[in-house]
Amino acid sequence: MRNLKNTKGQMRVIETIFAIFIIVAALYFVGIFAVSPTSPGYEVTDLEKMGYSALHDLDQQGLLASLVYNGNWSDLRTVLKITIPVDVYFNLTIYNLSGSKLNGDTQIIYGDSATFSNAKNIASVSYSLVGIPKQNPNTGKYEAKYDPRILVLQITRG
Amino acid sequence: MKLAREKRGQFVIIAVLLAAIMIVSIGALMHGAITYYKHEPWEEYSTLIGDVELNSRRLLELSLVNYTNSVVPDPNILGNNLEKWQDNLTDIYPSSGIVLDFSSSGLSQSWNPATKTALSQATADFTLDIKSIGLTGYKFSATISLSLRISVTSTNTTSHEITAAVKSESGNPVPNLNKNNFRINNATATAVSPFYDQTDILVYKIQYQGTLPATVEVWDQRGIRVVGTQN
Repeated sequence: MRNLKNTKGQMRVIETIFAIFIIVAALYFVGIFAVSPTSPGYEVTDLEKMGYSALHDLDQQGLLASLVYNGNWSDLRTVLKITIPVDVYFNLTIYNLSGSKLNGDTQIIYGDSATFSNAKNIASVSYSLVGIPKQNPNTGKYEAKYDPRILVLQITRG
Repeated sequence: MKLAREKRGQFVIIAVLLAAIMIVSIGALMHGAITYYKHEPWEEYSTLIGDVELNSRRLLELSLVNYTNSVVPDPNILGNNLEKWQDNLTDIYPSSGIVLDFSSSGLSQSWNPATKTALSQATADFTLDIKSIGLTGYKFSATISLSLRISVTSTNTTSHEITAAVKSESGNPVPNLNKNNFRINNATATAVSPFYDQTDILVYKIQYQGTLPATVEVWDQRGIRVVGTQN
């Protein structure tokens, strides 16, 4: 009688262990699906989102077009530095429609240029502007021409 | 008796197996959904659409500034600019497959003597397709305008006070205008002061010495010009 009770208990323990094993195996299998958010594919997407948002926010506020068309490169660097998180480095280049670089030798850059050549994950986003009205200081009249600019922003984490 | 016990044990294993299958299925489903919504670059898409929308509005502004400030206004300036923008968009975003169509575009300058209101306006309707993200038929409209309503109060034959209500396309008054933004009969206004008004919220009172009728020109900060004449 005592022997029979012991056997019954052992079977329950074996069943429980087996059940736990199945559940753990299932959870482990589910865990294999999970991809770390810092993986390279997602990192570049996050940086692209950040770059697009920064340029679009500045444009909506009316700052971007005025800084680009007036050639205020240092102010443009400052506003981008304020808008983009501190640990993110950027390099902005401005082109006209014929592909000529408009900021010349002045680099609108935050971080060492070596950072961009050594970085594993670099995102590149482009943004367009159509033009800005300007007041002629001599006549006082406003002049507005369609003169697009293409902004190419490279961003990476430091 | 022994057989019955074994059957109960099998039932537990089957229940646990079913639970495990449920965990794996729900896990896979949630992973798919989260990955899609979290890592699909929605913000990139919305910013791209936002860029096109915002700069199409800017193009209307530019065209209206050009139209209202020209000695001989070119009525085709908006259509020409929109056609160039349409072509250049495909060069600016070559891999996106952007197609921007426009319709009902127009520029106008008008004066309504009944309401004593002048209006400079640019309008256009757009349809945007972005093939790379499967977006087709995204419609948006843009209207840019500047209106001016004036009334003149004369204290004597040469001394007048002109009250000007200047409003943008939003229907809100345009703030921060000063004497450099106004010209009366081709001369810079001598004194311009903003006042609160119950109807228009903000009006500008302009002291004017000269003969009537007075032609009032106003430029807002964007450079859009509107002209009204009041006896």
